[in-house]
Amino acid sequence: MAISVDPPEVSRDFCKKAGYTFTVLSDPKAEVIRRYDLLHVGAGPEGHDVARPAEFLVDSSKVVRWVNFTEDVRVRARADEMLAQAKKLR
Amino acid sequence: MPDATESRRNLDAWWGLLLALAAMLCNAVFFVNPPVQRTIPWLSLLLAVSALIFLARGIKRVFGRPRIYRGRILSAIVAAPSLLLVSLVLITFFHARAMPTSAAAPRVGQRALDFTLTDTSGQPVSFDQLFAPAADDPQHTAPKEVLLIFYRGYW
Repeated sequence: MAISVDPPEVSRDFCKKAGYTFTVLSDPKAEVIRRYDLLHVGAGPEGHDVARPAEFLVDSSKVVRWVNFTEDVRVRARADEMLAQAKKLR
Repeated sequence: MPDATESRRNLDAWWGLLLALAAMLCNAVFFVNPPVQRTIPWLSLLLAVSALIFLARGIKRVFGRPRIYRGRILSAIVAAPSLLLVSLVLITFFHARAMPTSAAAPRVGQRALDFTLTDTSGQPVSFDQLFAPAADDPQHTAPKEVLLIFYRGYW
């Protein structure tokens, strides 16, 4: 599942266009993003606050098993890397 | 000692331009998201620094020893846009890496914080609900893991 500051309508269009069927949640006031200490102040368009890219693989007892904090905004976690991490836990 | 009457061509500025262009082109690679992408920022930095070295040497040569190396005006014309490209690459490099430290973010072995947020159809979804079996799954198997992806948005 994915979280951003985009409102639900924007995320809906984005998912439709990209063909995503996983859960995409909206955090327009960046409350959860702030609680996770992932707020990137002023990094969005027109100085809006956004989430810095980060990925957490969480098990069913909600314990983080793998995490990736993007160091370079241009370098994103690849789907195959994340799937490989999930398979390692099996 | 080279003959002062026979001036040499100075290709350093051209090498500088070529390297600066290559450093700039590295950024295009991110759009295809290849497995080697982690090395690309460093490659672009290496190319940009190499370009600077060639440009500095080229300019030093033509202006410092004009009797040996010709092409002062051409070198300056080639060096100017090259320097602009190098600056852009360097600014992009440092800007892209200016990330918050996220020191308080959950680490491996720590519990992920609970939350409830709105999905794309405007319905509230809690963290617990993400571990519920998918509605379209006939086996009703609950997911063993959930991947939380925080992204910048504004796409």
